[in-house]
Amino acid sequence: MKMDLAIEVENLVKIYGKGGSGIKALDGISMKIPKASTYGLFGPNGSGKTTLISILVGLILPTSGNAKVLGFDVVKESVEIRRRVGLLPEGFGFYDHMTALENLVFLATLDKIPSDQRKKRALETLEMVGLKDRANDKVSTFSRGMRQRLGIAQALLKDPELLIFDEPTVGIDPEGAAEFRNLVKSMNKEGKTILMSTHLLYEVGMVCTHAAVIRGGKLLVQGSVEELYQSVREAKGYRYELRVKSGIDMLLQEIRSISDVIEIKQNENHVTVLSRREIWGELLPLVSKPQFKDAVESLKPIEPSWDEIYRFYQEGG
Amino acid sequence: MISDALSIARKEFTDTITSKRLWLIVGVLLLFSVASTYSTIFRVITAFQQAGRPVASVFSAIATTMAYMAPLLGIALAFDAISGERERGTLRILLSRPIYREDVINGKIISALAVISLAVTLSSFAAVSISILLHNIAVTMDDIARVCLFIVFSIVFSFAYYAFSLFISTLSSKSSHSLIISIGIWIFFAFILSAISSLIATAVLGPPPVRSFQAFNMSQRQFRNFTSPSIFPQEYLDYMRREAEISSMIQAFSINYHYTQITSLLFGYATRPIEFSRRTLTSIPTVISTRLIDIVVLIVFPIVFLFASYMIFTRRQEK
Ligand SMILES: Nc1ncnc2c1ncn2[C@@H]1O[C@H](COP(=O)(O)OP(=O)(O)OP(=O)(O)O)[C@@H](O)[C@H]1O
Ligand SMILES: [Mg+2]
Repeated sequence: MKMDLAIEVENLVKIYGKGGSGIKALDGISMKIPKASTYGLFGPNGSGKTTLISILVGLILPTSGNAKVLGFDVVKESVEIRRRVGLLPEGFGFYDHMTALENLVFLATLDKIPSDQRKKRALETLEMVGLKDRANDKVSTFSRGMRQRLGIAQALLKDPELLIFDEPTVGIDPEGAAEFRNLVKSMNKEGKTILMSTHLLYEVGMVCTHAAVIRGGKLLVQGSVEELYQSVREAKGYRYELRVKSGIDMLLQEIRSISDVIEIKQNENHVTVLSRREIWGELLPLVSKPQFKDAVESLKPIEPSWDEIYRFYQEGG
Repeated sequence: MISDALSIARKEFTDTITSKRLWLIVGVLLLFSVASTYSTIFRVITAFQQAGRPVASVFSAIATTMAYMAPLLGIALAFDAISGERERGTLRILLSRPIYREDVINGKIISALAVISLAVTLSSFAAVSISILLHNIAVTMDDIARVCLFIVFSIVFSFAYYAFSLFISTLSSKSSHSLIISIGIWIFFAFILSAISSLIATAVLGPPPVRSFQAFNMSQRQFRNFTSPSIFPQEYLDYMRREAEISSMIQAFSINYHYTQITSLLFGYATRPIEFSRRTLTSIPTVISTRLIDIVVLIVFPIVFLFASYMIFTRRQEK
C-alpha cells in the first residue's frame, strides 16, 4: 500500500516564531494522499493550507513530525522533491520586465530542462493555459488572471508527476476556471497526482477524487469523495429527487410507508425524499410499477453539496 | 550547485546592465569626476607642477568623486536584491525549483561582483582618459599602475557597501526599508562621522589655542595659504595633531575612512585642511605597506557582511 502513496504526512506540527513561541499553524496533521488522485485541500483562512504545502516542498521546515513526498523526506531531500513536483505557490510573482516566454525559459533552466527544449516546453505550457498569443508580451502588461494562468504554466514546465496548487483559480474568470478543471482532469487521466487547496467548495466536487478538510491546523476529515459523501449521508440522511407529473398521491403514500423515510417535500412537480438509510433499492421498483410509471419522469439520488460536507465537518462531524 | 548559481547570475547580470539605475550612477560618476578635475586642477596644480606630476591632481579629483559614488553603486545593486524578490513573490517561484537557497544568493553575488568590476573599471578609465585629454597632461607607466590599483581598491570598496546593503536586504521584507537603512549608513559614514569625530575630539581636548582663531575664520582657500608652520605656533600644531589622532581613531569605524586613507596616499592628496598636499608621490610598494591595515579592513569588511547575509538567507524559511 505504501508504494501507492504520493504524499504521506505523519503528525506534522508547525509552530511559527522562535522557540515555538508563536502561532501553531499545524497541530499534528496526518494525511495519506494516494498516487493518481486529485486531492482537494480545504479550510478557512488561516487554517494551515499554505503552511502544509510549503512544508511539503521544503520551503519551510516542520517543527516536528514527518512527511514524505514521492518517497523523499521533506527535510533531508527537498531538492529531490522539487525536481519532481510542480508548485504553484501562494502570493507568487514574475519578473515584470521580462516577457512571459522569457520568464518561463529562465525558470525552465533552473528546472534542468535541456536547453534545446526549454522554449518549446515553455510555449506548450503557455498554450495549455491559454496564453500562447501573449507569449512575447511583458508580464507587466498582464492582468491578474493572466498572471495566475502564467503561474499555472510555470508549475507545468517540468511535466511533473505531482502537482501542488495553492488556490489555483484565484482571480481567474469562470471560463478560465473551467479550462483549468479540464486541464486537471486530463492530467489526472495521465496518471499524475494533483494536490490543490481551494476556497471554492464546488470546485472540489467537480474535479477531486479525494479531499481533506482542515481547520485550525487540525485535520477534520480526509478520504475519497465517495467516502465523504457517505458519512454526511449517514449523519444527515439520504436524499432523492423525483420529477413527477400528476396524480401521485398514491405513490407518495407508498413512499411514506417505507421504513426510515423521514420527510417528503413536494414543490409542484418536484419531490424530495429524505430517509435515514439508503432506500434506492426500494424506491426504484416502486416507481417502476405500472400504475406509477407514467406519472414519474425521473428519479435520482442527491449527493450532499460541498457546502454541506464542509459545514458538517466544521461543526465537528 | 554552481550551474544554478551561474544561471541566476547570468539573468541578474543582464537585468542590471540593462537597468537605468546602473547607468545613471555611472553617468553621474563620470560627469562629477571630469567636472571636479576643473575645480581642483588649478588649485593643486602648482604644487604638483613643481614635482612634475600634474596628473596626480586629476586622479585625486576622480578619487574624491569615487569615494562618494562607489558606495551608491554597491547599494543600488544590493538594496532590493533579496527583499525585492521577496516583495514581488519571485523568490517563491525561484525557491520552488530544484535548487538550493545558496544558489540564489551566490548568483546575486557573482553578478554584482561582475557588474561592480565592470562599472568601476569602465568609469575610472573613461574619467581618467577624458580628463587627461581635456587638460592635455602626460601620463607615465607609474600613473597607469596607480590607476589600476585605484580601480581594484574602488571595486573592493563598492563591494563592501554591496555586502552591507545585501545583508540589510536579506533581513528585510521591504526594499524601501532596506534602501533607507543603507543610504542612512552611507550618509553617516560619508558625512556625519567625520563631523562627529572632530566634535568629539574638541570635546576631549577642549577649545583650540586662541591665537589660531583668525586663521580658522578664513575661507578654505586662504586658510591653506596660511598652513605654514612658521605662521602657527608649536602649541597649535600639537593641538591639531592630537585632534587628528582622536578623530581618526573614531573614523576608523568607517569603511570610507580606510578607503580614503589608501587612495589619498596613492594619489598624494590631502584629506584634511591642516595636512600638506604632498609634493612627491609615495611609491606604490610604500603605499601598500603603509596602508596595509586599511587594505585589510577594506577586504575583511565585505567578507564579514557577505558571510552574515549568507548565513541568514540560507537559514531563513520562506513560505
Ligand atoms: N510567517 C508566519 N509567521 C507567523 N505566523 C504565520 C506565518 N504564516 C502563517 N502564519 C499563521 O499560521 C496560520 C496558518 O496560515 P496559512 O497561511 O498556512 O493558512 P492558509 O490556510 O493558507 O490560509 P489562507 O486561506 O488565508 O491562504 C495562520 O494562523 C497564520 O496567521
Ligand atoms: Mg494560504
